[in-house]
Amino acid sequence: MSHKPDDEYDFLFKVVLIGDSGVGKSNLLSRFTRNEFNLESKSTIGVEFATRSIQVDGKTIKAQIWDTAGQERYRAITSAYYRGAVGALLVYDITKHVTYENVERWLKELRDHADSNIVIMLVGNKSDLRHLRGVSTEDSQAFAEKEGLFFIETSALESTNVEQAFQIILTEIYRIVSKKAFDPVEGGNTAGPSKGTTINVGDTSAEDGKKKSCCS
Amino acid sequence: MRDEEELPGKQPPGALPADGRLNQTLKGMQNLLSRGRTLPGKIMLSRKNETAPSSAKPPLPDEVIDDDYVDVRKGGEASEDRSSPQASTSDRNNEDAADGGAREEPGSTRGVDGKPGGSQHGTPRTNGGRATDSARVDRFKKVLATSTVELEALRELAWSGVPPDMRPACWRLLLGYAPPNSDRRAAVLARKRQEYRDCVPQYYDIPNAERSEDEVNTLRQISVDVPRTVPDVRFFQQSAIQSSLSRILYIWAIRHPASGYVQGINDLVTPFLAVFLSEILEGDMEHWDAGNLSPETLYTVEADCYWCLCKLLDGIQDHYTFAQPGIQRLVFKLKELVRRIDEPVARRIEEQGLEFLQFAFRWFNCLLIRELPFHLVCRLWDTYLAEGDGFADFLVYVCASFLLTWSDELQKLEFQDMVLFLQHLPTKKWTHQELEIVLSRAYMWREMFGRSPNHLNSS
Repeated sequence: MSHKPDDEYDFLFKVVLIGDSGVGKSNLLSRFTRNEFNLESKSTIGVEFATRSIQVDGKTIKAQIWDTAGQERYRAITSAYYRGAVGALLVYDITKHVTYENVERWLKELRDHADSNIVIMLVGNKSDLRHLRGVSTEDSQAFAEKEGLFFIETSALESTNVEQAFQIILTEIYRIVSKKAFDPVEGGNTAGPSKGTTINVGDTSAEDGKKKSCCS
Repeated sequence: MRDEEELPGKQPPGALPADGRLNQTLKGMQNLLSRGRTLPGKIMLSRKNETAPSSAKPPLPDEVIDDDYVDVRKGGEASEDRSSPQASTSDRNNEDAADGGAREEPGSTRGVDGKPGGSQHGTPRTNGGRATDSARVDRFKKVLATSTVELEALRELAWSGVPPDMRPACWRLLLGYAPPNSDRRAAVLARKRQEYRDCVPQYYDIPNAERSEDEVNTLRQISVDVPRTVPDVRFFQQSAIQSSLSRILYIWAIRHPASGYVQGINDLVTPFLAVFLSEILEGDMEHWDAGNLSPETLYTVEADCYWCLCKLLDGIQDHYTFAQPGIQRLVFKLKELVRRIDEPVARRIEEQGLEFLQFAFRWFNCLLIRELPFHLVCRLWDTYLAEGDGFADFLVYVCASFLLTWSDELQKLEFQDMVLFLQHLPTKKWTHQELEIVLSRAYMWREMFGRSPNHLNSS
């Protein structure tokens, strides 16, 4: 490994935040990692990085989260960060239907550039803007089930479901990785709410996430 | 403050022990100086000088100068405009005094860069380091007053900072937007401003139905980015300014289809807005009210911003085309340069698995605007614009100098903390002094490395 752990953890998972510009990726990240929200945060140029550890099953899971620029022009740069990622939060803005329409393009990005068994969670952000909603929960839910994605609606501003979103995806990654390590038989469904189809754990590359440098 | 003219010959060769990373730099500079070459630019010499013998004559910068760097920009060209060595010396001393005085209260005039008018004499001002001392102001006035402005002379002066109230005129000239010939200037500007103005109804003030899908997407992207452009400067939150910014960006994008609008270009308009509005709005930028501007006035400012943006980006178009090859190339150059200047830092970065792209991409994409407090950005741009068309190459040296400001810290950090550190560099409290040091060092490194590409390859 290229660098020593500077703190104690059992698993290190690389997760990417993707989705259209302005849907709130950076604020989801800052809410989760620093409990901060900034209504006027600058656009992300290239990629930004933050980290936080959580406990799952008594294990410390460290999430190394790469926040990417949303504009299409940056795909060439940002898609390099999909490599080695074991989780992706694909974010859209529930008040802007076009950002939801683009989810399919983002999925294609992931399928082209990321590991085939990456755990993907569809995140409808800005749920606080109820009066401006342009994407129904049901539609997104149905879409997520069809595509085999986890789904959750969040508000980084009100701090609603942000913790849960990361908790669910990290737990699922952990479940896959630890099952791969300790229990080769695909077992019970322990995932949280809104789970779509079962994640394929047959692929061995799931363990790529285990204590591996994000920049490997 | 002292000129390097005094250094050659007096500085004993090898006076600096080979004990630090910068010693190579210093040695190289000594060599240049002892060969009788003059180096324009300010050069920071103090960093690893502690061990230099104090008997060296003249004393090393640390011992005579309390603000950490030696002005060696008065080499050849600049010294020629002084009529005699005596005049040169006294002039220099005056500048030193003014300069020292101006630095006594660093940071006390935040945001003053955009400040229009006001006395350039009398009370010392801190902006731009030497930018406002009276001798320099007079030289700017002299250059600007000629019927055909000598751009080389202007570049030479502007490199070290332009007095704020002369910035609008200097920037227009340096960017080649205003012609050097004063007889033609007003007519050319009027024509360009009208040309921009004609673009607004043609491209911007049309219904979305008349736009292509790409154009709608561009407009949407711009509308997402405009409200979050330099959000820490309240002035940019004013609706009149945001409308102007949208129009500038959209029209620029439509007329530059090879790249189109790319996030971060919005940042690049802000120094122009600050500078050109400083001709009109009084006082501190934080208190400007764009709502009082007439549409005529706003269009004029907008047009100037637009054309200056065009000129600025003309030379770096491939920074913003697909896959941004221009930026990738500069990031690669930066990595190479850092390896040659500060091998331990380069090695540390590599060992930790950090890619230069992970932090330097934004530096180049936004020309360091994101990395500095806004009140320093215009000063930084004085140097960019003085550099002219090749400024992107110099930017690599600026970025190296910027990065290696934290050479010691970087060597202690591990991957994660290193990324976090580099993405949120502690520059919030920076004053002109820190920026001047970055620029001086960049200048020195270019003198050394830019002209002898393999100079340090073997070391």
